Amino acid sequence: KIEKAKPIKCGTFGATSLQQRYLATGDFGGNLNIWNLEAPEIPVYSVKGHKEIINSIDGVGGLGIGEGAPEIVTGSRDGTVKVWDPRQKDTPVANMEPVQGESKRDCWTVAFGNAYNQEERVVCAGYDNGDIKLFDLKTMSLRWETNIKNGVCSVEFDRKDINMNKLVATSLEGKFHVFDMRTQHPTKGFASVSEKAQKSTIWQVRHLPQNRDIFMTSGGAGSLHLWKYEYPAQRSKKDSEGAEMGVAGSVSLLQNVTLSTQPISSLDWSPDKKGLCVCGAFDQTVRVLIVTKLNKV
Amino acid sequence: YLSLPLRGVRVTPANIFCADQYLKVSIPPFLFEAILYAPIDDTNSTAKIGNGIIFFTLYKKEVAMWDSLTLATANKEKLQYLRENAVLKAHEKAKEETKAKKVTKQEHKKYALEATMKLEEAERKRIEDLKEKERQKVTKELALWKKQQKDAEKQKRVQKEGELHQEVEQLKEEKKEKMNKTRIPNEGTSKTRLKPTKGHGSYSMFSENLKEEQLPAPRSAATIKINFTSRVFPTALRESRIAEEEEWLRKQAEARRTVSADLSEVEDLKEEEKNPDWLKDKGNKMFATGNYLAAVNAYNLAVRLNNKLPLLYLNRAACHLKLRNLHKAIEDSSKALELLTPPVPHNEHARVKAYVRRGTAFCQLELYTEGLQDYEAALKIDPKNKTIENDAEKIRHLIQGTMQDS
Repeated sequence: KIEKAKPIKCGTFGATSLQQRYLATGDFGGNLNIWNLEAPEIPVYSVKGHKEIINSIDGVGGLGIGEGAPEIVTGSRDGTVKVWDPRQKDTPVANMEPVQGESKRDCWTVAFGNAYNQEERVVCAGYDNGDIKLFDLKTMSLRWETNIKNGVCSVEFDRKDINMNKLVATSLEGKFHVFDMRTQHPTKGFASVSEKAQKSTIWQVRHLPQNRDIFMTSGGAGSLHLWKYEYPAQRSKKDSEGAEMGVAGSVSLLQNVTLSTQPISSLDWSPDKKGLCVCGAFDQTVRVLIVTKLNKV
Repeated sequence: YLSLPLRGVRVTPANIFCADQYLKVSIPPFLFEAILYAPIDDTNSTAKIGNGIIFFTLYKKEVAMWDSLTLATANKEKLQYLRENAVLKAHEKAKEETKAKKVTKQEHKKYALEATMKLEEAERKRIEDLKEKERQKVTKELALWKKQQKDAEKQKRVQKEGELHQEVEQLKEEKKEKMNKTRIPNEGTSKTRLKPTKGHGSYSMFSENLKEEQLPAPRSAATIKINFTSRVFPTALRESRIAEEEEWLRKQAEARRTVSADLSEVEDLKEEEKNPDWLKDKGNKMFATGNYLAAVNAYNLAVRLNNKLPLLYLNRAACHLKLRNLHKAIEDSSKALELLTPPVPHNEHARVKAYVRRGTAFCQLELYTEGLQDYEAALKIDPKNKTIENDAEKIRHLIQGTMQDS
């Protein structure tokens, strides 16, 4: 058991190699730390990255998944999203911040995607005013933004290490949107389908590592829903001006279960055993679950 | 051996009663009683019923010849006594038998239970064994993988050393392939590596990262500026609350409009022109285009409708500055500051502007000390603003200059 001074909000193993297994954490004071769990007194890397709590963290380039530099992205209540490279001290590699004079909104969630070769990376960030922004790190520009009318609690690409395929964004009021990321229309952006699962906030979405069309959402009423996405017959079509436009498919509910009366705030799948997942809830319990018959879906 | 003829009646075992020394067969209306000469072993004795006779096979307790089957001396009392005794004995025997049966039953049950438990144990063990096997398999795989990593590292290290060595030799000897062949242990792999390194030139290998995979360098730092979809409230956006929020905002706007709306000219005005916010926007636009007089008019009308909006005075002060109506500028900035009295961070920005405008007006009237005072007040609110600092400095110099002159 290891205790640190500031409470820790989020963590990821995403940016470390399988040998090193360093845990990167973001805490309530805005500090990003990377810990070697064998020697946890002093962090391997530490930076006071943000002025306010780091709400969400994601890592890419480690664990044998994907190629390219290991990078960590953090999103904070101070409205900025920063990308860090553990080899570069003190300054972020990329910084997405509001224009001078703009009032800031909480960034609630961040995710990496499109890391299919060494140069390409994309970061998606969701904010409390319903904004979703997609930043391209290769061109260092804002690639797409939209607003889904509810604060965005969680975003995830179906796979970090492929050409971006699907993005699921979950929000308050029980809604989530699945965006088809293969075709970007110049004005309309990406096509999406949305579903209302329940009355309460959907805190997290996680795709099954073994099948990227299956994902699980966890809700504020203590429930877990397992969904399957079906692709449409044609994923893109031409609109009236001849520009390519994506077509969204459909989502169907496979199973749901209510585990607790408190929100289930985080969940993750095991990358080795198909169907093994773990979730943590506000009732101070961690539950390990097994989902069966995923082969037959 | 005793055989008893029956006459046309059926016998069932219940009607035959046998005790130690007493034998009775009672089939109403017939009755046969025999008090035996010596006790017999009644558990082993049998009675065979068939063909109109009962055939008793009685085993004597003591092997001896009986004088007669029954006791001759048969006085009634003795008979009675014997009979009762016999009955009692039979009862007891029955009891004992039932007890014995119970005991055996229990034992049977226990045995059955134990057998099932054993079966379940066996099942459990089987599952445990399976689990153990799996566990061992996984640990073995893990150990193997670890070993592989170590070996791979070792190999690569050896190779790298080989290559560095190689490079050194190349430099010394001017690229003779023969040298390399003799030096390096793993020939095959190093040969293939040789070709590309030759092309590279000398020092590339040294300066390369010694990491296993070749990671790209960290990105060059950059910043992306973003805008947010505007939202007045600091809370998160929820669809279900949108209606409420719009309602609230609308009511706020309403309140600001109708503070002083009882002017006679009001009816002449169009709907839009009655809205001070709209007028303020109009004024701002005209200020931006340089039409300061028109801007002042717009602001005047707005003030008449609602004289509690500090921003109107603030903007009008700016117009007056441009028009060089310095006194009016000072008046308006002062009014604005009055209205901005609760000095909260919210109206920081506005207050800074007000102070700066008033300060500028004072300076243009050559009332430098008052001007400086205002600039310093502005600096106090916003110490990081360089332009204010610089202007304050200039004013100070001017004051010092005039003081020196006079």
